[in-house]
Amino acid sequence: MPVVTSFRRLSEEEKYERFMQRIEAGEKIEADDWMPEDYRMTLIKLIAMHAISEIMGALPEKEWVPKAPSLRRKLGIMAKVQDEMGHGQLLLRVAEDLMAPLGKTREEIMQDLFKGDLKFHNVFHMPAPTWADAGLIGWLVDGAAIITQTNMLDASYGPYARALKRICAEEVFHAQHGESIILALAEGTKEQKEMLQDALNRWWEALLMFFGPASSETTGASKQDITIKYRIRTKTNEQLRQDFFTKYVPRILALGLKLPDETMHFDEKQGKWIYKQPDWNKFKEIIRNNGPKSKERLRLRELSYYHNAWVREALSGQSAAV
Amino acid sequence: MSDGAKGFYQVFEVFSRKNDTAPLQHQFSLLAPNHEIALVMAQENFMRREPVSDIWVVKRSDIRMMTEEEKTSLQRLDNKDYRTTKGYGYLKKKWRQYEQQMLDEKEIFSWKGEIRR
Amino acid sequence: MKITKPEELHQHPEYKEALVELLFQLADDDFILSYRGSEWLGLAPHIEEDIAFSSINQDTMGHAAMYYQLLEDIGIGKADDLAHQRPSSERRNAVLLEEVNGPGHYLHEPRYDWAFAVVRHYFYTQAKKVRIDSLKHSSYEPLAQVAVKINMELYYHLMHWRTWFIQLTNAQGEARERMKNAVAKVFEDFGGVLTLGAKGDRMVEFGLIESEETLKQRWVQAMKPIFEEVNLDLPSEFGMKRGNGRNGEHTADLDEAIMTLSEVYRLDPLTAW
Repeated sequence: MPVVTSFRRLSEEEKYERFMQRIEAGEKIEADDWMPEDYRMTLIKLIAMHAISEIMGALPEKEWVPKAPSLRRKLGIMAKVQDEMGHGQLLLRVAEDLMAPLGKTREEIMQDLFKGDLKFHNVFHMPAPTWADAGLIGWLVDGAAIITQTNMLDASYGPYARALKRICAEEVFHAQHGESIILALAEGTKEQKEMLQDALNRWWEALLMFFGPASSETTGASKQDITIKYRIRTKTNEQLRQDFFTKYVPRILALGLKLPDETMHFDEKQGKWIYKQPDWNKFKEIIRNNGPKSKERLRLRELSYYHNAWVREALSGQSAAV
Repeated sequence: MSDGAKGFYQVFEVFSRKNDTAPLQHQFSLLAPNHEIALVMAQENFMRREPVSDIWVVKRSDIRMMTEEEKTSLQRLDNKDYRTTKGYGYLKKKWRQYEQQMLDEKEIFSWKGEIRR
Repeated sequence: MKITKPEELHQHPEYKEALVELLFQLADDDFILSYRGSEWLGLAPHIEEDIAFSSINQDTMGHAAMYYQLLEDIGIGKADDLAHQRPSSERRNAVLLEEVNGPGHYLHEPRYDWAFAVVRHYFYTQAKKVRIDSLKHSSYEPLAQVAVKINMELYYHLMHWRTWFIQLTNAQGEARERMKNAVAKVFEDFGGVLTLGAKGDRMVEFGLIESEETLKQRWVQAMKPIFEEVNLDLPSEFGMKRGNGRNGEHTADLDEAIMTLSEVYRLDPLTAW
């Protein structure tokens, strides 16, 4: 760390330079440290979206919590969905501290979600109509999340890196929870196997979309360049998608499942997976809250937030502190 | 919605101790309207899978934190071996001359048990 | 009399009958309430609380699983079948605990009532604590051992619900009104939580648990200071407005809950899931 006599006297350029030196040296930035405006805004956008995706991500699985087929499965999925809420909590706290200088709180994050200004991950707009979907979410959606999240474990923003460390540790349990459901189905009756294959078919395109477009040319918006510049992450969307294929395609095939993409193969010469592109226009529609379940899930979140607003109002005064 | 609920969202820092001899460790922060509610939510938010023997919740506004600039005051030169055992390593050799063993950290911490002649 | 192993029950058919009845009450109470709690997941008034509440539901379902396991050990059926297969007429939970969380469905327009959740859980948890303290001395030793374990987790559950109950009831205005209404609603059926049902006398006779009246008095004693703190009157009698669940009387809420909680299980009750 360069020795600074009076930090406040530095010009904006000098501050910026010092900031870049710090992150390039692998130092972590903390909430109250000076940071460039676009760094703050990029983090807020990224982390608030990540946070709210966890919270919204609890909803597709929530359907299967009361319905899980045994006591052990009921307990396992309850713990898993609880963790999703927990991840949302950790990430919301990180986002809220970044937003505090702008005078924003959790209240505004929720408002932004309800207004449609704050997006959530494409996968959580999709239906989960069977028990196999619950298993598949744990196995492959969480698998995809592990790939993107481990990529940011060394993020330059300290609070985010610390939250991700906690999250990734729990994701290991999630992946195993999902694998356990999937394996029971894959080794089960004909009906169970079909249920699993159907779920894979249903989720495949959404899983490809999960990592985002390869470049901003595809959809007109991608934050990957700035996040790499500021050392929030290291790999591009496409690299992450390729990593996902490398880790999961062999496992999917080993279970006797068919990939719903006949063109999918590993090209030895190019050293990468060749696959059919998802419909990126559909992706744009989905994240604009026009996915199959977008409205329904937003309604669920909004209703529960307002319906019990009286609880928060009742305890918001100091007098309530017994 | 009204601003009425804003007071509900107070930031509390959560600290915990793994066992009775472990130091207090910072876990994370949470939002709660007051200390009591913060305390009943703390363990399940941050320590669902590990043992805990004590929890503290502290309102963040009661904490004096360092600014980025103040943190530069934490730097110091590496010339203070007189404060550590490193600066007294020669004693080992000295004691050997008197046919005695040096009382190092390992030796001293072993005294909590029975002291044998 | 002390029974230390399930195998000894063959020689005591009447004892066994009373024991099975009691175990079903204990298991079904915890099972259905934790099911209701699990419907709340993601919908609580505060995210941090959602997480804390879910832990309590998991603990509670874990307790139900321990009781169902005791029944399995006696040879009544497999724990999962007992939890998922039995029709409402065979269930022994208190009617109060099967009641829906509020209007709506957990996926569509849930207008769940947090005041009702706090009061129902708090009052039930205190009743459970009184019962568990008695069961620690049960003549059926496997049950006494389970009670010692379950007791460990009840301190937190009680502290958690007591905190919410006192704070929301002592808050002024709308919150206090909602809490008062919830208390009145819970008391209408709270007798059903405290009763041991038609076979209660036999349970007491065999030293499985203490009498209903003794347990009820202990509950009242425990709640008295709390009611003083929130300035509410504690009645001495509690209703069973919608029937006695211990005797198999239940509402449509339970039938619906069973349909939902066994939806996947019923696709193929014989396969592994």
